[in-house]
Amino acid sequence: MSYIEFKNVCKEYKMGEVTIKALNNTNFSIEKGELVVIVGPSGAGKTTALNILGGMDSATSGKVTVDGKIITNLKNKELIKYRRNDIGFVFQFYNLVQNLTAKENVELATEICKDSLDPTTVLKKVGLKDRLNNFPSQLSGGEQQRVAIARAIAKNPKLLLCDEPTGALDYKTGKQILKLLQDTARKENMTVLIITHNGALAPMADKVIHFKNGTAENIVINEHPISVEEIEW
Amino acid sequence: MKKALIKDALREIKKTYKRFISILLMAFLGVGFFAGIRASSPDMVDTLDTYYKNQNVYDIQVISTLGLTSDDIDAISKVENVEYVDGSFETDGQIEIENKEVIAKVMSLNDFNTPVLIEGSLPSAQNECAVEPSFLLANNKKIGDTIELNIEDSQNDDGEDVPYLYEKELKIVGTVQSPMYISLDRGTSNLGAGKIDYYMYIPESNVQANSVYTNIYVKVKGANEYTTSSNKYKDCVAEVKNKIEDIKEEREKARYDSLVNTATKKVEDAEEELNTQKSDAEKQIVDAEKELEDGKKQIEDAEAEIKSGRAEADREFSNAYAELTGVKKQIENSEKELETKEKEANAEFDKLEEQKEELNSQLSTLNSGISEVEKNIETIENTLKNPQLPDEQKATLEETKKQLESKLTELNSSKTQLTSAIAQIDTGIKNGKAEIENAKSELQSAKKELEKNENAYYSNKNSTYAQLDDAEEELANSKKELEDGEKELEESKKEFDEKIADAESKLNDARAKIAEIENPTWYVLDRTGNSGYSSFIQDTESVANIGRVFPVIFFIVAALISLTSMTRMVEEQRTQIGTLKALGYNKFHITSKYVLYASLACVIGSLLGMAVGFVLLPKILWKMYSMMYQIGDIQTSFNFEMSSLGFTLIVISILGATIYAVMRELVQTPATLMRPKSPKMGKRVFLEKITFIWKRLSFSKKVTVRNIFRYKKRFLMTIIGIMGCTALIVTGFGIKDSIESIMPDQYAKVFNYDLQINLKADLDNTQKQDFINSLTNNDKIEKVCETYMSSSTAINGSNEEDVQIIVPSNNTGFDTLINLADVKSKEALELPADGILLTDKTAQLLDVEAGDTITLKDTDDNEVQVKISNVVENYVYHYIYMSKDMYQSLYGENFESNVILTKNFEMDDETEDNFVKDLMNEPEVASVTRISTAMNMMNDTMKSLNYVVVILIVSAGLLAFVVLYNLSNVNISERIRELATIKVLGFYDKEVYLYITRETIILTAIGLVLGLVAGYFLDFFILETCEIDMLRFKKFVAPLSYVFAALLTILFTIIVNIVNYFALKKIDMIESLKSVE
Repeated sequence: MSYIEFKNVCKEYKMGEVTIKALNNTNFSIEKGELVVIVGPSGAGKTTALNILGGMDSATSGKVTVDGKIITNLKNKELIKYRRNDIGFVFQFYNLVQNLTAKENVELATEICKDSLDPTTVLKKVGLKDRLNNFPSQLSGGEQQRVAIARAIAKNPKLLLCDEPTGALDYKTGKQILKLLQDTARKENMTVLIITHNGALAPMADKVIHFKNGTAENIVINEHPISVEEIEW
Repeated sequence: MKKALIKDALREIKKTYKRFISILLMAFLGVGFFAGIRASSPDMVDTLDTYYKNQNVYDIQVISTLGLTSDDIDAISKVENVEYVDGSFETDGQIEIENKEVIAKVMSLNDFNTPVLIEGSLPSAQNECAVEPSFLLANNKKIGDTIELNIEDSQNDDGEDVPYLYEKELKIVGTVQSPMYISLDRGTSNLGAGKIDYYMYIPESNVQANSVYTNIYVKVKGANEYTTSSNKYKDCVAEVKNKIEDIKEEREKARYDSLVNTATKKVEDAEEELNTQKSDAEKQIVDAEKELEDGKKQIEDAEAEIKSGRAEADREFSNAYAELTGVKKQIENSEKELETKEKEANAEFDKLEEQKEELNSQLSTLNSGISEVEKNIETIENTLKNPQLPDEQKATLEETKKQLESKLTELNSSKTQLTSAIAQIDTGIKNGKAEIENAKSELQSAKKELEKNENAYYSNKNSTYAQLDDAEEELANSKKELEDGEKELEESKKEFDEKIADAESKLNDARAKIAEIENPTWYVLDRTGNSGYSSFIQDTESVANIGRVFPVIFFIVAALISLTSMTRMVEEQRTQIGTLKALGYNKFHITSKYVLYASLACVIGSLLGMAVGFVLLPKILWKMYSMMYQIGDIQTSFNFEMSSLGFTLIVISILGATIYAVMRELVQTPATLMRPKSPKMGKRVFLEKITFIWKRLSFSKKVTVRNIFRYKKRFLMTIIGIMGCTALIVTGFGIKDSIESIMPDQYAKVFNYDLQINLKADLDNTQKQDFINSLTNNDKIEKVCETYMSSSTAINGSNEEDVQIIVPSNNTGFDTLINLADVKSKEALELPADGILLTDKTAQLLDVEAGDTITLKDTDDNEVQVKISNVVENYVYHYIYMSKDMYQSLYGENFESNVILTKNFEMDDETEDNFVKDLMNEPEVASVTRISTAMNMMNDTMKSLNYVVVILIVSAGLLAFVVLYNLSNVNISERIRELATIKVLGFYDKEVYLYITRETIILTAIGLVLGLVAGYFLDFFILETCEIDMLRFKKFVAPLSYVFAALLTILFTIIVNIVNYFALKKIDMIESLKSVE
């Protein structure tokens, strides 16, 4: 059994009379320590799948297993606990707490979980050792995203889920961020999922999942993933 | 406005109904409270105004110290703008009911101040009267019962006493409510215990002493067009009042002159009459005296006569008696003498018989010798016849014849001698015997006469003495008669003297009285002269004062909160605003959406607020005041002024805030607007610099601290909002505390006595002393204190207050019945020797303090100046305490107790009931007041004040709730991304809740603490402005009230937080974290 399994997962939204199927019988699996890139056009269900996997949303039907835990069966509180201990999120818009410094933003996460890493160490690791005490507004977009990643990593999660982490960044910075994520996966043996609409990023992953019309249409395993630096787009 | 925008606005309302409702509620509370409280005072005045107009209450009344006449009425009716004038008779009377004495204000019915008939009918016949309902209730009487009304005779202008009433047995025909007594205070009286208990009405036809009016009532032309106590009304009345004041002096003088003239004339007449009477009486007395004198002389004469008569009689009779005894002795002697004489005579007779026989023998011898001689002579003769005889022998013979013849003559003479001797003897014997016989018979007759004389003597003596005794008796009688006469004269003299003295003193008095006739003083009073009216108006002002402070706080809070809400709303819709702007809508159109939104909230909220506020608040307030005033039901009205003011204010604050917020956004370009607003920069807070504290804070606390300082506006809003609400709640409780403490403070702390026994006025000293002794010896009574109480007016400059003067007979021990404590130092005070103790509130109202001097005017208008030694603690009514010596030196009168205060041993209610009932039946007792009853009655009144407090607390609570709810709504919406983030990070619901609530709690705590402090001051301020003159509110807030206020605020916070908890739980992470639209 794989580390993560998506089995026949469906997600429907009811908007009044209309039912929208965001996920339609999606199946895929991910092994521990894999760097996975999920690609697909807008509205293909990438984010929904990620949200369900991250415990932020629940599936209408189907089964999601993470490290042997069936998260589709979890109650709300258990879901929060799952998010708290097992998941690290990185968003397109960083979602840092403006009122907290870089270090404090990381602490905000580590405060609440069991096996957290030292925030300062993590921040140093992401290359922000001089920016520890800066507020988000004093940081550049890339730096902010680094803080966000640090915040996610510091929780020492089982899964690092990144939703368009470079969407709001310029090419160069985006690349640096992706590099950071790739290094994290490699060095820390962390399972990392990155959503992107940029198919060019696929070679950096161990596994590439292609989404289309609400389902994982194609899963490609990269036997030889290449470093981000080598990818141009 | 464009249709699409209207639709948008309406949808917006539907979507953000919570915000809409909270703004609506703000408007509701703000306007409702403002309008309601503000309208209460005018509503109350309007109610009174209508009542006064319906009952035709006077605009101006004139009272004079010497009464008023029909001339005065004429004079006043001639004053410009006087509509009409009427005189009235008002006096105080006593009614005895079951050994209880009540004092009633007796008013005659006239066109003015018509009482409202409650039951039965108004009195029309002479022997009818109408009373107030409480009179029937309290005295167990009913309509149809008869009471006896005693009113002191009144003096007419001629100085004659006239019975006040024709009929004093009056039948109660109805109950009425007098517009002259709208408050429970019935005023003071010179009668009884000095307090008027009830008022009553009688028809004017029953007033016998109807020459002098006590009051003249004036209706001012046009005054009815204005609301009473409004400035226009005041001006309208003041104009006429001034004009009446103008004729005042003239009328006073006229009255004075007429009184003085009548009185002077009367005195003169009386004097003249007195003088004639005096001289007549004096003459009569002189005559009577003379007559008596004569009688006396006569009696003296008669006495002397009798005396001399008796002496004479005594003398005469003793003489007579002596004579009689003399005669008796003589007779006895004569008898004895006669016996001896007889014996002697008999012996003599025997001798004489012997002599006679001898003589007879001698005679016979002699005879023989004569015969011989004769023979011889014859012989010679013969011889001689012979003429020759010789001459010588012739001569010898002649010689012998001669010899013989001589011898014969001799012999014949002897013979005659002898015969005569014999005859003599015979005669002698015969005579002797006859003599003895004579003597005997003489003696006998003498004896007989003596006897006769003796008889005559005795009878004479008896009759004489009897006569004398009679005379004496008669004299004694006359003497007595005379004495009686004298006594009578003395008495009538005395009587006369007395009468004259009396009449003279009366005359003097009358004369003195003329001198004493003071210039009468007219008092021209408007309605404020009526204590009920003025205290009512004052109370409406108190309410208006509350209405000035409370709603302002409401307004400020409501406006601030609405501002926050609307600003947030506009901020949220920044992108939309930008889009609209980009689409080419102008500022006006864009703004109008929000203005419409806010206006709808304002208008609906305001209308609801007015509907509730205008009806509910005045009604509740009225309910409370109606316990103290008898006026009728309140008229609530839609007060346009207040509503438009409240509405305008709320619209200005909410719409102003909206427009301001929209305008602030609109100045930016559409492009800027469509980009998300750059989030507020994070900043270090001051506290971080104090590292030793900052270090110690847990991470979450640091976050909280920084967040608190990040949203300064919300920080302030929350604190001000909570502070305002807490302050209002504290004030509400504080007012309640103050009100509730009045009774225990007054009746347990200040007044320690249990009973106030008012004595009847006509008791003499022994009666009183006996009664007091009986109380002292009563085993139910612990302590007895004799006091003198009287009503007076304390004056300082233009400030006047009615006060009760209390003078204890004995300074020691008085403090156990009435606690005299200095108001500031709370130290117990003794009654001072050179001043008085004045109660605290009175001092404040009179604007005096210890050491100042005030004037006291008693019910007879005597004025004295007195120094205030100390100001003492007191909570209800106004009192002045002074020592007995002080009183006596101040008024120059002897201390005469009229009230007895007692402290009783503990007893249960029933025992006390019976005990008091027994006391009331004592003949010396006029009335008994129980502190417990007084306290209960006052307590009931006070309880009504709690309504206001409840209104305050409830509305403050509502406000607190709305404020908190609103602010946390804003808070959540403002920070939704942040919250979603921490949720994603895996914060449990509770942690998310705490993350945000910790801030609310801290802000609430700060607001709460500040609110408690502010509440303390607000409470002071409110109490200061709405304090009733008669009461002293102890300005304090009980610790428990702070606790309650805090708990209430906390409760509201908790409720709001619970609501928040669910709101936070419902936050959709995915939606919130989606890229900003």
